[in-house]
Amino acid sequence: MSDASLRPVHGEADWYDDRLPRVLRSYRSNPLRTLAAVTLVVVLAALIGISSAYLIIEREQPLDAVTIGPWHAYPKAGTAEADPYSVAIYTRGAVIPLASGEGLALVAREDSAGHKLDPTCIYRIAGQTPSARLWTLTAVDGRGHLTRTLPGRVNLASNTLLRRADGTFEITAARQPHSGNWLPLAADAKAGDGLRFVLRLYDAPVTTGAALGGVSMPIIDRQGCP
Amino acid sequence: MTLSPRFSLTVGLLATACLAAIIHILVVLSIPRNVQHSAFDNVAAYGPDRRFNLLPDVRPGEEALPDLDPAMKHSTCRFQLADGPVLFDASIPVPFWSIGLFNSAGEAVYSLNNRTAGAERLSMLVLTTRQLAILRENPPENLENLIVIETENPMSGFALLRAYVPHPSKADAIDRALKAASCTGI
Repeated sequence: MSDASLRPVHGEADWYDDRLPRVLRSYRSNPLRTLAAVTLVVVLAALIGISSAYLIIEREQPLDAVTIGPWHAYPKAGTAEADPYSVAIYTRGAVIPLASGEGLALVAREDSAGHKLDPTCIYRIAGQTPSARLWTLTAVDGRGHLTRTLPGRVNLASNTLLRRADGTFEITAARQPHSGNWLPLAADAKAGDGLRFVLRLYDAPVTTGAALGGVSMPIIDRQGCP
Repeated sequence: MTLSPRFSLTVGLLATACLAAIIHILVVLSIPRNVQHSAFDNVAAYGPDRRFNLLPDVRPGEEALPDLDPAMKHSTCRFQLADGPVLFDASIPVPFWSIGLFNSAGEAVYSLNNRTAGAERLSMLVLTTRQLAILRENPPENLENLIVIETENPMSGFALLRAYVPHPSKADAIDRALKAASCTGI
């Protein structure tokens, strides 16, 4: 005797039958499974949300950057129009920004070829800067702190720079002394310490982001690494 | 109604993504309110309010505040406009100096340098609209020569004065000028 012949003949008798499409089957509640699913969703969401926020803030790179070659500037960071990410980054680091009436800071974390800057390498920074009354070039580590160098100074200023006849300049950034314009790098740095070049243009007409479009910035060339 | 496993998974992933986005936004927005040391707090460590306090020179390992230029000397003054207007006065013999006004959240409110100041001497008055109205009734003689900065609300904030050191031999003279700079009431 087959299974089908035992079924009642009226139309709604196979309500719980497996042959019905899933969406028409009645819901059998399973509180434990539901609770586990909701907990998993909440925990996973909290993990993803918090870690993604941490990663973005920890990178210390505000989002609305103006990029010229390897250089990044954040003209709006530290003002009332800043985006929430740069507000979080700047207040967390208690950074006092260079205000627009004072100047503009440009940061390079990579060389012109796109490689991460390494304090054990030798770099050539050459070209010209946007017009400014004064500018300084400083080498800091990957977290923005100054480092100890052989001669004790960590920066170069525009008024003590040797230039070519056409106004361009060439700077060698290295740990060991070099002839010409030498920007000393950290004396006892390891490759993992990171390196940033900070170019601060003081009293420059390009302090607003829009004016930064067509200006030329120095290139950063890696000359060699140990 | 029973959902297919694939549909449940999709709903679960969507819920996770939406919730993660909400948590991400909440975390980012809550950071400014939960920092332990704002720039406004850090500045207070270098001396009393309502006077310029010279910051130590920016050297490796002993940076007074983060992200300052080692080629400059800095002086800060914290003030609360609720205590009355603030008059900044300084005469610094260097080729470049600049001053930035920041509110307690660390946002730049106003800034100028020695070229945009129009004079070698910095004399700048910061006050609220109401204080200016009161001052106008009995104006001091030099009000015309001051750079007057008016704010809507009685803000708390600080000023950071930067002076470029062209040569180490000038450091002492710049120190003296920065110490003589005043940040007081009228």
